[in-house]
Amino acid sequence: MSETIDAQFDVYRFDPAKDARPHYATYRLALPAHTPVLSALLQIRAETDPSLTLRYSCRSAICGSCAMQVNSKSRLACETQIGPEMERHGRIVVEPMRNQAVLRDLVVDQSPFWRQYQQIAPHLILDPTRPMPEGRETPMTPEQVDRFKETPRCIACAACYSACPAVEADPAFPGPMALAKLYRFVVDPRDTATQDRLVRIQTEGLWLCLRCHLCTEACPKDVRPSERIRDLKELAIGAQGGTENGSRHAIGFKENIREGGLLNELKLVRQTSGVGGMVAQLPQGLRIWRKKPEITKKPPRIEGADEVEKIYEALDRPKEGS
Amino acid sequence: MRIAYYPGCVAQESGKELDLATRWVCRALGIELVEFPNFSCCGSGFVDEANEVLNVAINARNLAIAERANLDLLTVCSTCQGMLSLANLRLGDPAVKGRVDGALKPLGIEYRGTTKVKHLLRVLTEDIGLAAVKQKVVRPLAGMKVGAFYGCHLLRPADELRWESGEEPHAFEDLLAAVGAEPVYYRGRVLCCGFPIQFVKPETAGRIAARQIDDAKAHGADAMATPCPLCHISLDSFQNQAAKVAGHPLDLPVFHLPQVVGLALGASPEEMGLARHLVPTGPALAKVPGLARS
Repeated sequence: MSETIDAQFDVYRFDPAKDARPHYATYRLALPAHTPVLSALLQIRAETDPSLTLRYSCRSAICGSCAMQVNSKSRLACETQIGPEMERHGRIVVEPMRNQAVLRDLVVDQSPFWRQYQQIAPHLILDPTRPMPEGRETPMTPEQVDRFKETPRCIACAACYSACPAVEADPAFPGPMALAKLYRFVVDPRDTATQDRLVRIQTEGLWLCLRCHLCTEACPKDVRPSERIRDLKELAIGAQGGTENGSRHAIGFKENIREGGLLNELKLVRQTSGVGGMVAQLPQGLRIWRKKPEITKKPPRIEGADEVEKIYEALDRPKEGS
Repeated sequence: MRIAYYPGCVAQESGKELDLATRWVCRALGIELVEFPNFSCCGSGFVDEANEVLNVAINARNLAIAERANLDLLTVCSTCQGMLSLANLRLGDPAVKGRVDGALKPLGIEYRGTTKVKHLLRVLTEDIGLAAVKQKVVRPLAGMKVGAFYGCHLLRPADELRWESGEEPHAFEDLLAAVGAEPVYYRGRVLCCGFPIQFVKPETAGRIAARQIDDAKAHGADAMATPCPLCHISLDSFQNQAAKVAGHPLDLPVFHLPQVVGLALGASPEEMGLARHLVPTGPALAKVPGLARS
């Protein structure tokens, strides 16, 4: 038995039919420290306020329904215990997920999240002319299975989508979950649309990922979406090369370092944006140059730059999908 | 203490003021910086996007340079910190290590994995210690409210960097308090500055930068401070563009971490290279008695 603590819950409440704006309702309960936030909310609903609206189902971190913000962090309410939250924050602020419109209290409209998921064609695309092997099974090597060992763990709770600053800033970004799922099909040896998928995603938001790793922090299932997005970027470059600003920048940066070991800032702008892009950025460039004239200087060649060059010769090969 | 100084590209180039301030502060606190003219760029996250193993290998080379001298390595950039630490971590995988060794061994380079990668923030708060920093303060930054802005790669993925909590760090705020400034807590302090997509989609990058700057201001900040020169580019050099996207003026000075420490330890604004900032730092300095006129 863990000790009983006095916990304070400040719960976001909003009923668009009745309220002009959201407010926070405070509830105080004495509960064992190991109580999940979800259980506490259900107790509040059962004993104090039957109008409190929330989504949940399995209570076992399997269904992914009860993602919400607990003390500003997107997580599953069913596996977040009240003890550590009270210890760290002195109270438990419960709010709906971010980046999705609130329908009522802790329930958000998930349709944009699911639309983004649909966009990536989240199913195997098979070649109808290629017969399935004997017994309708496709043997895979352990190495092939290893490539997508994390992504099937995803329970589509949207905690990553809620935590993502790129989703917040730009509706063109598909979000971490959709991209992690896309990766899963790209490396599946049964899928025959690998090249199409990689070509399409380059223009459909892949390069808007900020690699801030907030999704990987938020994910309750350790899918590590930011790392899967990184893998996708390398595969997309391998499939098609630099067709977008993002892939051109990554490739340009790689080539830039190869030449003398340090970054040539001015040259990078040309590598990413071309001469036309450089002209467009000239006013801003001049503004910065007045304070920081080094931006136009070529950096010195490091000692041992030939070692860097040899490392490139050994390892600079494109990566392939399934 | 002696430590290998890995300045990173930006501090040697357009962010020279960060290098100036780092050297000043390390001199004042007795940190001996050992320099190596053969460090290369860390890849800045972009080389990692293009080729993960190549990126690990160029950083294994950097780490081996410090390792040969039996030194830990000091970074002054969240991204350098993240890339070099991730290389250390990924080299724990025998398959990755095998490929990297295959490229390094013919060059006579040996990576053993004994060099720790430490950001200046960590060296100041853990190795030097807040009490020792505080003891050297001659001009507490009392009256200046500063919003720390960490930069993603100093914090995340937290389970891999194994230092501060990725969600609720406090080392930077503790350091700000030690030099007499008033730390401001705001949600944006652990979020992204927008820099990685500055060249992908400038409007979106600007919207993200403006969001964090507005957040710091809404919590009363007179200035922000960052341990990452790439965040500094986004928040300071491109603040005008962020303001344009936001549709309102931002006008928030942004310091590099060692500048804030240096000012409290008695450095002049000139010694900290403050004139090189795009957003004037004067209004923030004016909050500290005796600083604006020095």
